[in-house]
Amino acid sequence: MSILYFLVQQTMFFSIPLLIVALGGMFSERSGVVNIALEGIMIIGAFTGILFISTFQDVIPGQPVLILGILVSAVTGIIVSLAHAYASINMKANQVISGTAINMFAPAIAIYVARLIRTVQQIPFVNQFRIEKVPVLGSIPVLGPLLFQNTYITTYLGFIILIVSGIVLYKTRFGLRLRACGEHPQAADSVGVNVYKMRYLGVILSGALAGVGGLVFIIPTSTQFNATVSGYGFLALAVLIFGQWRPGRIVVAAFFFGLMKAVASSYSGISFMQSIPIPSYVYKMIPYVATLIVLAFTSKKSMAPRAEGIPYDKGSR
Amino acid sequence: MGQLKKILRTDSSANVLSSLIAILVGLLVGFVILLISDSSQAVGAFGAILTGGVSDMKSMGQVLYYATPIIMTGLSVGFANRTGLFNIGASGQFIVGAYAAIVVGVKCTFLPGALHWVVALLAAMLAGALWGAIPGLLKAYRNVNEVIACIMMNYIGMYMVNFLITKTVFDSLKNQSMRVANSANLPKMGLDQIFSEGNNASSANSGIFIAVLIAIVIYIILEKTTFGYELKACGFNQDAAKYAGINEKRSIVSSMAIAGAMAGLGGALLYLAGSGKGIDVVDVLAAEGFNGIPVALLGLNNPIGIIFSGLLIAYLNVGGFNMQLFNFAPQVIEIIIAVIIYFSAFALLFKGFIQSRKGRGGKASAAAGPAAAGIPISNDKEEGQKP
Amino acid sequence: MEYIIEMCNITKEFPGIIANDDITLQLKKGEIHALLGENGAGKSTLMSVLFGLYQPEKGVIKKNGKPVKIQGPNDATRLGIGMVHQHFKLVHNFTVLENIVLGVETTQNGLLKMEDAKKRVVELSSQYGLEVNPDALISDITVGMQQRVEILKMLYRENEILIFDEPTAVLTPQEIEELIKIMKGLAAEGKSILFITHKLNEIKAAADRCSVLRKGRYIGTVRVPVTSKEELSEMMVGRKVSLMVEKPEVQPGKVILETKGLTVASKTSHKNLIEDVTFQVRAGEIVCIAGIDGNGQSELVYALTGMIPADSGSIQLNGRDITGESIRKRGVAGMAHIPEDRHKHGLVLDYNLAYNLVLQSYFTPRFQRGGFLKYDEVYRYAGEQIERFDIRSGQGAKTITRSMSGGNQQKAIVAREIDRDPELLIAVQPTRGLDVGAIEYIHRQLVEERTKGKAVLIMSLELDEVMNVSDRILVIYEGKIVADVNPKEVTYQDLGLYMAGSAKGGAHNGTA
Repeated sequence: MSILYFLVQQTMFFSIPLLIVALGGMFSERSGVVNIALEGIMIIGAFTGILFISTFQDVIPGQPVLILGILVSAVTGIIVSLAHAYASINMKANQVISGTAINMFAPAIAIYVARLIRTVQQIPFVNQFRIEKVPVLGSIPVLGPLLFQNTYITTYLGFIILIVSGIVLYKTRFGLRLRACGEHPQAADSVGVNVYKMRYLGVILSGALAGVGGLVFIIPTSTQFNATVSGYGFLALAVLIFGQWRPGRIVVAAFFFGLMKAVASSYSGISFMQSIPIPSYVYKMIPYVATLIVLAFTSKKSMAPRAEGIPYDKGSR
Repeated sequence: MGQLKKILRTDSSANVLSSLIAILVGLLVGFVILLISDSSQAVGAFGAILTGGVSDMKSMGQVLYYATPIIMTGLSVGFANRTGLFNIGASGQFIVGAYAAIVVGVKCTFLPGALHWVVALLAAMLAGALWGAIPGLLKAYRNVNEVIACIMMNYIGMYMVNFLITKTVFDSLKNQSMRVANSANLPKMGLDQIFSEGNNASSANSGIFIAVLIAIVIYIILEKTTFGYELKACGFNQDAAKYAGINEKRSIVSSMAIAGAMAGLGGALLYLAGSGKGIDVVDVLAAEGFNGIPVALLGLNNPIGIIFSGLLIAYLNVGGFNMQLFNFAPQVIEIIIAVIIYFSAFALLFKGFIQSRKGRGGKASAAAGPAAAGIPISNDKEEGQKP
Repeated sequence: MEYIIEMCNITKEFPGIIANDDITLQLKKGEIHALLGENGAGKSTLMSVLFGLYQPEKGVIKKNGKPVKIQGPNDATRLGIGMVHQHFKLVHNFTVLENIVLGVETTQNGLLKMEDAKKRVVELSSQYGLEVNPDALISDITVGMQQRVEILKMLYRENEILIFDEPTAVLTPQEIEELIKIMKGLAAEGKSILFITHKLNEIKAAADRCSVLRKGRYIGTVRVPVTSKEELSEMMVGRKVSLMVEKPEVQPGKVILETKGLTVASKTSHKNLIEDVTFQVRAGEIVCIAGIDGNGQSELVYALTGMIPADSGSIQLNGRDITGESIRKRGVAGMAHIPEDRHKHGLVLDYNLAYNLVLQSYFTPRFQRGGFLKYDEVYRYAGEQIERFDIRSGQGAKTITRSMSGGNQQKAIVAREIDRDPELLIAVQPTRGLDVGAIEYIHRQLVEERTKGKAVLIMSLELDEVMNVSDRILVIYEGKIVADVNPKEVTYQDLGLYMAGSAKGGAHNGTA
């Protein structure tokens, strides 16, 4: 039983960042802009967030410094995404190229700045954020150990983001207009919706969420940041596609992939798994192979936003 | 002057001009970063970047050495672009090709001299072709977006190769793949004599000739053959290609396979260069695969252009090494290259701008390659069975 | 100040072309005013200026005598101007209600409030006789209902000036009558209507006055009841136009194309896309398949040419069964295809003209050897075709096809397909979007093929074309052939009834 609790707790650490980043990607793509720069934005977000935490940890203790760190990550994520937004929306550039540029830029600048101000490229921090047990809720049988022990506030943040995203996308005016821009920007334009503005907002949201997602990924899983998020940004894209751009399915996909990743990284801590002679590399590959297989079977009837990836040009009718 | 203006307004010069602008902007940004970090050393460092590649014969040789693999990955990405696909999987194809070459190099010592390295190269092309064909098949027959599929294949390739190395050709002391037999290394063809400083020979070898040769072959295929006609048609307009009776599924798979073979060959050319380099067993994607992207973009997806842009990027990298003497981290070069890519995405806007001065079309198409190389995650495979 | 809207001396330019050149248009309150012109005359552009989608370089728009600035659809809506576009601007996976309220949503605390909107829509719907289901998804409803949604969009915003851009392209003759009734009803309630069209019949049926544009210029305004169709046509084109096509007498020969029980299933619904289609086309005859867009004619052509597989039934060309063969094989066997969408299928726009002209023949020994293209031969051939078919382009054979005009692009496709010397020529909407000159030319080419003894199968949505050009008409409705008639023996009314599925007529297996 304790193995189950352990696995679920570990899964949270891997699923929540995927969830947050995939939701960010959803806002961007639903508005019509493809954003494969999620990986790069995660790196920048994590870098600035960890740097902030590492620098101010002594002065500001405990969870508050984490919360501030999250804000920092969000803001830097937004700034980086603006570059992508500008290229894709104003310059009508190829969105995959712009995204790739950011992905290459991010680790380089993270290492460069780290070496500049810290002389080494790794940024360490002290992980004082783990919550052993949430008062009251942590004592509930079964649910307690599953969800309210050995956890971080970032986990709950992830769920909040999920719920808010769902409401925003389907129940608000903003969401309706955003989706229109991703499906049929000419229709939106003809009723007076500012397609450029909506797309900017979509990309900015994806930047904020990806930045936060980067920080959320590093905190529970390491003690330092080394200019990489191990391909999580790309895995989040797979979650987005597997989730058919809908929050309800994205969360399922995020947990599925997160579970795979959790098994891959923690199987050595699970006794019965250790006795099975599967090399660690196989576990590492499982999420990617699983993604390919899933995509092979689900891509035929893709429900991607119709206008995504196509720059909107007012002149074309 | 009128003649000059006319030349400047043609398509090709507008293209070249826009690439140059992207490069200049990238370099400028790099310079600014240097200035911000340490203004006293900035000018010297920047100078090192600009001149490092020609500072001595050995450096020039190193430029050729670094250019070789990225010309190949550049050809890989560029060729795929011409046929409407975005091959972001060059990294995975590169490393599986490298592994295949190394395995042949280490294990197949029964092969006579000249044959050994040739077989190694062929093995690499085969492995790369397979690695590229998989996303191609998934796209053609299951409508899987090739960007995501290639990204997955990159990671799968990386993990798989790392694993296989530890099982077959592992050098545990250095945590790399073992050294290949001498007969598996590419012949130097005297380049190590020409491009050396005193006793320090560069790693230049016949690989550069092979890369240039392949580039020419690709050029001929694209421009002169019916196969190239079909692939380009698919790249420009898959629907029209189908209408014309072209088997667009077969075209997609062939393109990705060829692109994969190019990248795989690049891996072989790097690790069989006789420079003592082995594949490090670390969970890091091969950077050469991603460097193929700016090479292809700057080279305008034209094989001949790619030769030049490959040399350029290699040149910057060598300059980057020299720049380290001035106490700057080498990541500056990566930043410069990333900025160049970013601005090359605008390149066609510059082209449109230059040409619209004459009121000529003026509507720039968004893609660096054919229009289809956007990111076709969606597909018009909805009701009505529109083929 | 009797004019509710005046567009004075409007000039709108795009790079390389003056779409509207000093045009003045005056709309009276409560009138139905038609805007007539050929394709490319500038009608849609002018209306887009009125609706705020474009800004004119010169000129002034006045409402009730006062100059106004319309910088976007929001301004237009505020002034009471609404537009139903030719290509509907509806989001396919939103509901009818969501599409109507998009842009003017009512919210409470940031969340959408749809109940009041729904009530209003239902009210308007019954007031004006525009039947819709507010909760249906756009992708699930008929084209006719989609158009009603577009009209409701305008009424919901309390527009007083309603612009209709080519509204009848997608309607049956009966639905057109209904639409005209709706327009007259709206005008009676005080709305002012502008409708763009190139169809003279509709102008005569609906409009009070008509303004004519030609090549971006304003030609004049007439009172419709006292103007004949011939006069309107002459204003539109600038010369006398014969509305008939000359066809010499030809005796049909042997059967070239024969289909038996051709069926294509649908992936999403239980109803088949085409069902049990059986007909023949003989050498020396033009058979036209008529029907409302979306009744399976596109799928029928795709099945015939091989672009989609048939689920059952057979296709025979010259007596040989070609049912399972590839597109390439069918082409080589003597089938040529002028496709519905010249940009999507007919041409590789980024290729030059010469490359497009050999799109169907680059693999033949004439143009390649050992896999290598024979350039000289390709360009020589292109030169010949350009001469013969009078294809106009900026740089001759090397012109990038994207920069050619629609008419010349179509000529290039026609040239290519006819030069293949096919046994069967399939032409889908061959004159869509073309000006009268190009239309005349293409009809001439099709008739010539018929005279040469080829079999010609045309798919068309334009009833005039169907009646004038064909020897036999097959009407398709919901994927089935429901009529096989002689154009000399049938009226437009009858055709309309067949197309709407209200009657069946003629021999059932589609043989002459």
